[in-house]
Amino acid sequence: MIKITNLEKFYRTEEVETIALNKLSMHVDTGEFVAIMGPSGCGKSTLLNILGMLDDPDEGSYVFNDIEVAHFNERKRADLRKHNIGFVFQSFNLIDELTVFENVELPLIYTGVSASERVKRVEEVLDKMQIMHRRNHYPQQLSGGQQQRVAIARAVVNKPKLILADEPTGNLDSSNGNDVMELLTDLNEQGTTIIMVTHSEHDARYSHRIIRLLDGQTVMENIMV
Amino acid sequence: MIRNYLKTAWRNIAGNKFYASINITGLTVGLVVGIFMLLWVQDELSFDKNNTKADRIYKVAIVGGTGISKQIFNHIIAPVATFAKNEIPEVEDGVRVMSVGNAPFKYKDKIFIEDNFAFTDPSYFSIFDFGLIKGDKRHPFADNGSAVITQSTAQRYFGYEDPIGKVVTMGLNEQVKITGVIPDYPANSTFQYHVLLPLSRYNELAYIKSKTTYDGKTIVSSMDADWSSFMCETYLLLKPGASEAVIAEKMQAIHERNRPEDKPVPYLTQSLTKMHLHKADGTDAGFSTVRTFAILAILILVIACINYVNLSTARAMLRAKEVSMRKIIGAGRFHLFMQFMIETALLFVIASVLAFVLMFILLPYYNQFANKQLSLSITNVNIWACIAATLAGTLIASSIYPALLLSSFEPLKALKGKIAAGIGTASFRKVLVVTQFSVSIILVIGTLVIGRQIQYILNKDLGYDKENVFAFTLRGDMQKDFEVVKARLKNDPSVVAVTRASRNIVLNGPSTGDNDWDGKPKNSNMWFNQLHGDENLIPFLKMQVLQGANFTGAVADSAHFLINETAAKEMGMKNPVGKRLRVQTTNGTIIGVVKDFNFASLHKQIEPVVFQYKPKSCWQVYIKTTGRNSNRAIAVAQGLWKNYNNDVPFTYAFLDDSFRKLYTDDQRQGSLFSIFSGIAIVISCLGLFGLAAYSAQVKTREIGIRKVLGASVGRIISLLATEFMVLVLIAILIASPIAWYAMNKWLQDFAYRTEINYWIFIIAGIGAMLVALATIGLQSVKAALANPVKSLRSE
Ligand SMILES: Nc1ncnc2c1ncn2[C@@H]1O[C@H](COP(=O)(O)OP(=O)(O)OP(=O)(O)O)[C@@H](O)[C@H]1O
Ligand SMILES: [Mg+2]
Repeated sequence: MIKITNLEKFYRTEEVETIALNKLSMHVDTGEFVAIMGPSGCGKSTLLNILGMLDDPDEGSYVFNDIEVAHFNERKRADLRKHNIGFVFQSFNLIDELTVFENVELPLIYTGVSASERVKRVEEVLDKMQIMHRRNHYPQQLSGGQQQRVAIARAVVNKPKLILADEPTGNLDSSNGNDVMELLTDLNEQGTTIIMVTHSEHDARYSHRIIRLLDGQTVMENIMV
Repeated sequence: MIRNYLKTAWRNIAGNKFYASINITGLTVGLVVGIFMLLWVQDELSFDKNNTKADRIYKVAIVGGTGISKQIFNHIIAPVATFAKNEIPEVEDGVRVMSVGNAPFKYKDKIFIEDNFAFTDPSYFSIFDFGLIKGDKRHPFADNGSAVITQSTAQRYFGYEDPIGKVVTMGLNEQVKITGVIPDYPANSTFQYHVLLPLSRYNELAYIKSKTTYDGKTIVSSMDADWSSFMCETYLLLKPGASEAVIAEKMQAIHERNRPEDKPVPYLTQSLTKMHLHKADGTDAGFSTVRTFAILAILILVIACINYVNLSTARAMLRAKEVSMRKIIGAGRFHLFMQFMIETALLFVIASVLAFVLMFILLPYYNQFANKQLSLSITNVNIWACIAATLAGTLIASSIYPALLLSSFEPLKALKGKIAAGIGTASFRKVLVVTQFSVSIILVIGTLVIGRQIQYILNKDLGYDKENVFAFTLRGDMQKDFEVVKARLKNDPSVVAVTRASRNIVLNGPSTGDNDWDGKPKNSNMWFNQLHGDENLIPFLKMQVLQGANFTGAVADSAHFLINETAAKEMGMKNPVGKRLRVQTTNGTIIGVVKDFNFASLHKQIEPVVFQYKPKSCWQVYIKTTGRNSNRAIAVAQGLWKNYNNDVPFTYAFLDDSFRKLYTDDQRQGSLFSIFSGIAIVISCLGLFGLAAYSAQVKTREIGIRKVLGASVGRIISLLATEFMVLVLIAILIASPIAWYAMNKWLQDFAYRTEINYWIFIIAGIGAMLVALATIGLQSVKAALANPVKSLRSE
């Protein structure tokens, strides 16, 4: 599904140039659950953003589903993104002005799904995330764990082929964290490819494979049994 | 999709009531004022244009006089229309309109004083769209005893009875019979004559029966043969496709052929549609005011839009996270653009509804104030087009930029909160605030200058004494008995002096170019303003005789003249006393020179004046009262009036009031200006208030940290306020030269004017600073006094 080769990303400020990704190569197959680990500042989020087409690389190739996307423009990337990729962030990033239901419904609106179909799909996924009883609440009225479940519901409602999660349990206690990991595992078992950045060895154990980064380079890959 | 946009938009408005109400208030006020002013502009521009043949109708004017006495005559000689119609092939038809002051009309026991009555040709009803709705269309006037009246006049006179055939008494005992009714004039018609009589009636009375002599030699037996009496407005209807350019020349040729001594006598033609706002020679007669108000209206709207743009872009920073998430989830630029457009539109709908409610409530007051009869009736397409254009323009101006800005956020940066620092809109917002304040300050300076000029005019020493003087017009036998009337008046202790003259000196009066004097240059065509009076007139008005002496009241005075300084200068005379002068039929000697005085409006230069001793032709009585007891003097005059004219009500006017009336337009302009600038400042401050609140909100954390580190409240207030005060200061610097230039131009319209003093700029500047400081201060103090622990935790 994903194949990147010699990917490079620099951040230039007035005085220094930071190499966030340094000739990084890797691949992820369809249906895999991959964890990315590494010390703070090693380029994990940068990588995830590029994989999610929120950002473009400076050098190298990124093939997504057999399409070279490294030099796609903003509009093309957005188009590919909204049909294929769902995001989960550490800080949930729900929209405060919208209810649970409306937050989850939003991606469907942007992809032009009909209203009746939307209701059906949103209810289905809220049910699955066991958050149905909170459908008319606003994000501030929910606990962190509940908020993250809504965020995951929002990420999967469009049935994306790939879910990118940046420290999804980072703001949660261990029991809520485990719930989220269970949800991701379920999704993966139903066929969704998942790439997750985490600092937690415990969470990483839910994945099939761990990619360890240091200074923007792959240093090691562990295959989980 | 739209529903979703609307829902989100509504929540955003409802969830931010503070900013929403600032935005809505600013927009509502801006829209009300902007629309009101544009309606006024639209009305002014629409004058006389709804005549179907408007593009083929031209008014004819004659340029008379040379040097300082040069002027344009809109009331011209009667034969022009007749000759033009007969001799110029391009002219299809012509009409003359002669308005002759007011006259009482009596029906049964009711008396109506009509100011708006005129003599005219029957073609009046076919050239203009004033066709008869009752009566014989082909013969509006059956004979010289006929009259045509408007619908509402018919109703005033006869109620619901059929007006046709009714006989009314005009003046003392002339009978006229109503033979036609025309619809009421639209408010935007220059013509507002409610009673129209055939011009042929005037011809019969004034020419055929009384055989006018106009130059002492010729007896004129028809107005069409009188080439020297300037009395009627003349309009020509040209044939389709005819060019107006040649008409003036042809008319000049006709005139000069018939009266060679007038050579050269240039003619002017002016399109009917231009008549309301331009003089016949194309110079301004109100158009620049209309243009100024159009610009001001648009500026007010711009200020209101700026508020919206400023507040919504400022708040965009706070919404960056929401926008980014929407993008990450799949929103395209277009989705977001639409979302913000709809949010603005929704806010606009609210503001528009409020504006309409306010407009309906305020319209009667506005009409009164602006001297208009505007109505928001559904049928008036022009008004709705104007309103729709205003709304659309304002909506577009205030929505596009914020929508573009917000929808262009890069999701990653915005999510990390880097946008607030990086984005270049802060300076853009500053430019907008400076613009707002510049406009406001210009308006304030304008208000001050106009106010000072009006004060200057009203207090200017005119060269004569108009204090505590009232005037009325003699009628019937009262004039013959003037000596008796005068004696009775002077008998009363409240009356100081009594005199009479041929005209009200505050207003424009008759003038003549028919004159000659020893050594008059060949090509000079100087015109005199004529003022007839008795021997008391000059002392009564406390005018100064510089050379020679005043009339004595002796019989010989009928061949004596006094002239003013300007006349002497224009005639090229150092010592005019004793020189020969002829004015019309009077051959005589100049016996004195009067110091220049300002008659008529101060918009105009002082023109040449000639005084003649003609008590018999003086119908205006001037009465000077002690001032303390003028009501009593009025009562005495009224009692005398009753003895002579029991059927007509007594009307009088104080010279002071007549004088002030000359400047009602200027004063109205002044009041409009002050209201404008007030509103501009209110709206600008509203925006500033919102921005200051936003700025304090964004800086809560910074302020908290500074306080923890030991900054004093004063330092923090100045930290917040300085940023804005600098902007106001820049605005003052930008506004001052512009205002100076514009107001200097405005003052050029007055022949006598004040100076624009530097302190006006200082006052306006300090005023703007204080108002802005008060606006910002409240927010800054609130932020500075906040508990730092609280504000740090809130992050
Ligand atoms: N916008 C940026 N401008 C400049 N440098 C940046 C920017 N974003 C990231 N970097 C730098 O790039 C490097 C990689 O950053 P990245 O956010 O990918 O790290 P990370 O592995 O996600 O760290 P963490 O575990 O702390 O989230 C860091 O050194 C960071 O300082
Ligand atoms: Mg990271």
